[in-house]
Amino acid sequence: MTTVALPDYRQQSPEVAARFQRIRERPVILQVRDLEKAYGAGPSRHVVFDHVTLDIHRREFITVIGPSGCGKSTFVRIVAGLDEATSGQILLDNHPVSEPGPDRGMVFQGYTLFPWLTVKRNVMFGLEMRGRARSTAETEARQWIDMVGLAKFENSYPHELSGGMKQRVAIARALANEPRILLMDEPFGALDAQTRWKMQKYLLQIWKKVDVTILFITHDLDEAIFLSDRILVLGTNPGGVREIIENPVPRPRTLEQFLSPEFLALKARLDHLIHGDEPPDEEDKLPLGRMTTAGDDAE
Amino acid sequence: MAEPAAAAAAPTRRRVWLKPFSDQSVPGQALFVWLSFLLPLVVWAAVSYVPFLWHPLVKIQDPASVSYFRPDTLVERSVFRAENAKLAAAGKPLATGTPANPVFLPAPHEVAQAFHKSFTTPPRRKGEKWLHESLWQSIQVIFWGFTISSLIGVPLGILCGTFQPIAKLTEPFVDFTRYMPAPAFGALAVAVLGIYDPPKIAIIFLGTFFQQVLVIANTTRKLDPALIEAAQTLGARRPQLLFRVIVPGCAFDLYNDMRILLGWAWTYLIVAEYIGASSGITFFINQQAKYRIYDNVFAAIIIIGILGFTTDRFLAWLGVHLFPWKRRRSSAPAT
Repeated sequence: MTTVALPDYRQQSPEVAARFQRIRERPVILQVRDLEKAYGAGPSRHVVFDHVTLDIHRREFITVIGPSGCGKSTFVRIVAGLDEATSGQILLDNHPVSEPGPDRGMVFQGYTLFPWLTVKRNVMFGLEMRGRARSTAETEARQWIDMVGLAKFENSYPHELSGGMKQRVAIARALANEPRILLMDEPFGALDAQTRWKMQKYLLQIWKKVDVTILFITHDLDEAIFLSDRILVLGTNPGGVREIIENPVPRPRTLEQFLSPEFLALKARLDHLIHGDEPPDEEDKLPLGRMTTAGDDAE
Repeated sequence: MAEPAAAAAAPTRRRVWLKPFSDQSVPGQALFVWLSFLLPLVVWAAVSYVPFLWHPLVKIQDPASVSYFRPDTLVERSVFRAENAKLAAAGKPLATGTPANPVFLPAPHEVAQAFHKSFTTPPRRKGEKWLHESLWQSIQVIFWGFTISSLIGVPLGILCGTFQPIAKLTEPFVDFTRYMPAPAFGALAVAVLGIYDPPKIAIIFLGTFFQQVLVIANTTRKLDPALIEAAQTLGARRPQLLFRVIVPGCAFDLYNDMRILLGWAWTYLIVAEYIGASSGITFFINQQAKYRIYDNVFAAIIIIGILGFTTDRFLAWLGVHLFPWKRRRSSAPAT
């Protein structure tokens, strides 16, 4: 086995660098200002993360990754307005946000389609909440359902759909509100590997067709790299931003890129950031005694 | 080749039958529904018609020379034997009789006849009601008691389940009152509301209402909070959350709660009808028991069962149509 020397994960091709330049010139949609989340008070105070600062530009795709307990879900929930930060600010189009609103659509890990509504009525929900007339809402909902490829299922109930289809409806439902930013909290976490891979491709296709900025939480390194423009890496002990990385893998993304040098370099870096400072696993200390010799002769 | 296949199939079938928590349908499942009614009926018929099962009494046919035996009366088997032994010792002809069950256990066919009879026979005394009139009165009492309770209890329960302060304000007192048996309020209800239907409706209300608030509140709390969060990120505000998410989200479970609570109301009916001027189906049952017409008593009790069971079946059927999203039409298609 030969070890291939990987390039520096920060090294960008001219095309990729030009793309990031263009992204930086776009207006800022979401500003995260010195965000802190802590539980408890006094000596028992536990800081989940602090000093999180980030500007997200229009139509940028940001993934957030980190070990469990780093507060990545809490972070996105604060942006959504479902949790409160201890200090710091979230600005959407320069206006501070404090409570949930349709300008920040969210797709959850669990299935949160309303089980008593058909696919169409689920997608219409946000539109109706915002006072859209039933017929307009219906026409608009149909377009979004079409876009996620579920036109045949518009009158089905959520329990009749597979996990991947449910999440596609959830995406359509969030996008129907034409949010400024789409928040996705490990949306494919409950899906099997095959479906997950398909959904990642779907998501990039949808993102290409819609004017939407995406903040995507995941714990899967491949997923984080495959989807993102930039990756926000959070850590624990102490909690906070480890690094914000500009993804050097060019677009459009393909399956072959998973073995490209940039991809592997970035993956190695992420792996180091997330697992590098972890103490050795308990499993490494397991006793070495064996219980069987069956099958040894075949080796 | 056929034999091993058959051998393999047999244990599989057995496994399906006794698989814990299985939702697979077993061939001939409909039969079980019938059996669940048929088996008790078979036991009842066996005890009634097979002479050596139970039958602790003897129905006298020919009293012979026993002074206190009369034709068609029932005596204990031991007494009958003792008297016959005396007659035999004296060399006189023996008394005859057939094994019989106590009068309070009529045979199925007698109850079946009573069923017909109780609807077609006029009441014994003037002013007493026909069975169907008694039933109708009971149904009205239960309807009003349950409806009034639900009109207040369901909204209150949903509010308690949704808003913490309302729960804090309501539930301790409701919990406290819940432990006072509704019938304990009987005398009070009569003093305030008179002796006819109003105090009975009040007892059903008291018996149902306090349980209802707590049950409904608990069911409401079981709604997946993620659905509420999802609705919030879609732009739903508080009244919309309540009417567009919480109420429809709980509706199916609330509906089933109501079915169970209605059964509860029937239990309180019997107590309620004893209060003030005894009325309704309870009065009918008591009256028939006084006349020792136990076949009518059984018929009336069974009618309550049939009424309750058909109501519940009807509500279950209605539920399937009210909540189409609870129906499993087909297995989930692939992504």
